[in-house]
Amino acid sequence: MDTSKKWNVTRREFIKGAAALTATPLVLHQLPFYGTLAHASSEADLVIAKHGSPSQLLQAAMTPLGGMGRFVKKGQRVVIKANIAWARTPEQACTNNPELLTALVKMCYEAGAKKVAVWDHTCDNYQFCFSRSGLKEAGQKAGADVLSGHGRNVYKKVEIPNGKKLKTAEVLRDVLEADVFINFPIPKHHFATELTLGMKNFIGIVWDMELLHKIDLHQCIADINTLRKPDLVVVDAIRILTTNGPKGPGKTEDIGEVIASTDIVAADAYAAAFFKHPKTGKPFKPEEIRFVKLAFEMGLGQIDLSKVRVKRVSAT
Amino acid sequence: MNRWIPLMRRTVQTLSFFFLLYLVIRTAFPMEIKIPVDLYLRLDPFIAVISSLTHKGIIERMFPAFGVLLFVMVFGNFFCGWFCPMGATIDFFDRLLFRERKRTKPFEDASLRRLRYGIFFFSIIAGLLAFQVMYLLDPISLVTRTLVIAFYPPAIYLYNHLLPSVQTILPSNSFFMSSVPLPIFKVNLLIFLVFVAILALGVIRKRFWCRYLCPLGTLFSISSRLRIFKRSVTEDCTSCQRCVRDCPVGAIPETSPRDYRHQDCIACFKCLECPPQAVSFHFSLPRWKTANGVNLSRRYVLGSLAFGCLSALMIKTNPLQSESGLKNNRLIRPPGALPEEEFVAVCTGCGECLKVCPNNALQSTFLEAGLAGLYTPRLVPRIGYCEEFCNFCGRVCPTEAIRATSLEEKRLIQMGVAHINKTRCIAWDTDKICLVCNEQCSYHAIIGDEKKRPLVKEEKCTGCGICENKCPVDGESAIIVFSSGVQRKLKPEHSDNNG
Repeated sequence: MDTSKKWNVTRREFIKGAAALTATPLVLHQLPFYGTLAHASSEADLVIAKHGSPSQLLQAAMTPLGGMGRFVKKGQRVVIKANIAWARTPEQACTNNPELLTALVKMCYEAGAKKVAVWDHTCDNYQFCFSRSGLKEAGQKAGADVLSGHGRNVYKKVEIPNGKKLKTAEVLRDVLEADVFINFPIPKHHFATELTLGMKNFIGIVWDMELLHKIDLHQCIADINTLRKPDLVVVDAIRILTTNGPKGPGKTEDIGEVIASTDIVAADAYAAAFFKHPKTGKPFKPEEIRFVKLAFEMGLGQIDLSKVRVKRVSAT
Repeated sequence: MNRWIPLMRRTVQTLSFFFLLYLVIRTAFPMEIKIPVDLYLRLDPFIAVISSLTHKGIIERMFPAFGVLLFVMVFGNFFCGWFCPMGATIDFFDRLLFRERKRTKPFEDASLRRLRYGIFFFSIIAGLLAFQVMYLLDPISLVTRTLVIAFYPPAIYLYNHLLPSVQTILPSNSFFMSSVPLPIFKVNLLIFLVFVAILALGVIRKRFWCRYLCPLGTLFSISSRLRIFKRSVTEDCTSCQRCVRDCPVGAIPETSPRDYRHQDCIACFKCLECPPQAVSFHFSLPRWKTANGVNLSRRYVLGSLAFGCLSALMIKTNPLQSESGLKNNRLIRPPGALPEEEFVAVCTGCGECLKVCPNNALQSTFLEAGLAGLYTPRLVPRIGYCEEFCNFCGRVCPTEAIRATSLEEKRLIQMGVAHINKTRCIAWDTDKICLVCNEQCSYHAIIGDEKKRPLVKEEKCTGCGICENKCPVDGESAIIVFSSGVQRKLKPEHSDNNG
């Protein structure tokens, strides 16, 4: 009886106590706590940042999304799937912008990441890709491990339960096992699939990439995306490749945007409009890219941008 | 002092071998090493002499070799006993594994000693007639080739298998590292067996290879006859035969240990370990006359020459070498290679280019290029393709059989042209969208038609083989690179890259 008596709390007492408990850290640790409070609230699901240097663009795009602290917690391992597929220079826009990669890695570390790895299974020889694209240096400068999936030992054979045509695949083990997974694509023209966007970037986690072409490329792109939803998608649209994709060199266009989103289909749907349809000459509609449409139908994200909280910000 | 010489020699030999090993290991991306990685080959006078003869011109890269030859001519042969990595290996295995058999009767080797001159004359004449088999016997080329083809793949294999356990020990890296793509070479077993056979000859006589076969040693023997640094024996000699037994090249005759064949001496100084201290080395006037030389009859020399001529003719009339329809049009030579006939005459088959190729694309031939082209490099796209921004093979070729080209120049060399097999191609045979070849092509040489089926633009194709390599069709690719036998220069493309 004594114990039950002890825990008899009136409603008023409870509210008082709860208020005090909430307030204590606010008083004791005002600044950091306010910081996290601000991060935790997201105003948008898709943020487009324009005007500014790569790091400014990233910063501007991330803040309305809730900041990097929303995705990366202290002591976590982060995997960034970059696009380092080709032995091209940064100006040719076939690979990610090195400055943006540096900024992204730094931001992960600032949010408390224990280790950040940048992965890609390159198409050209990885040594040439890493050095010519400047991305190995850029990643390492910020303290990340820039790793290449050229050895089969870093892959893991997995079932794809939600895949329609692709039932099993060997994918990068770290992508599956890391605490946080960031997809970091660059939109490009692609002759076979019209465009290469965020979801297409996922192909670079597969060991036998060419095999997917044999099955059904568009469906495979959607299928492989069911494996793990990226915690964050950062689309590098500072400069994009508009012809001769995906390897280039071709015509490039300076868009000067960085898009951050939690919804990969929405990000792809937005980025598709950078390119003009070869037949109509009008910007691509998201439905015109088959893998985006398939992914939407499979429930991987929202293709209709009017149903997504979109926010445009200026970095400067 | 004398006691230190064997130790010193062994140290120098070990260092020399490991230096070669180091150079071979560094023959890889990114090729920023300051020392030429083919240093040992460039210092090899036998390769220098023969390749200049077969090339019918001067090969600049081989100049250092003539310096070595000059040194040997004046001071004697210090190369074989001190610096030769093959000699070091043979010495090591002669002690460790293949010990010389004990025999009661003395080993009669006059005919064997003659053999190396026979091989040498055969090599020279066959070389002049562009038959490159003599390169196979050059010790430096042989040892690099063996290291690259026979020992490099197993080393990577072991590394890859040890990698997981090594990584569990290292806590610093929380991510798994990729294993290294395993290099593969078809002729590895053959090369390995030849190497082991050469080492095993030590059972018959220590340094059997050096005494009776090595053509580089023969060249040194011939050229060091007028050396000025020589051995002399005082009256104290008791004919105890110790130096006769110890001499690794058998330069001291049993009957008269106070003489020696100075041209065969490799300056190992083993004979200094003389019980009565009767042996010393010092400078003296050159002398042509030698003790107990080789009986090179006119018949023997002419016989060797005739055999060399005939062998070269056999090779020349082999269908693979001739202009007949049997020409191997899948024989793609590395970018910048000399025209086929000159190429097989100059390439020593050392394997440097096989080692440096980042994609394992260069493979050693067996008989695909005829006997004259044994162990020469060829591009096998299904194994690996020629990387666009790589010109390493031309940079490491010691005899310039693959010319050193700038990246701009290399990217315009047409080694071959890709052809699509429309009955096997996924896009042509079914209505699926594939276009891997178009996606991978570095030179915009593959375009897609309105139904997204690939077509090759021959005027842009370099024959790098990335399309053949990446084609997802099982087994033989649906797009195959064929060579016309001649490398062409493509017209430079005005890049539509505005970046």
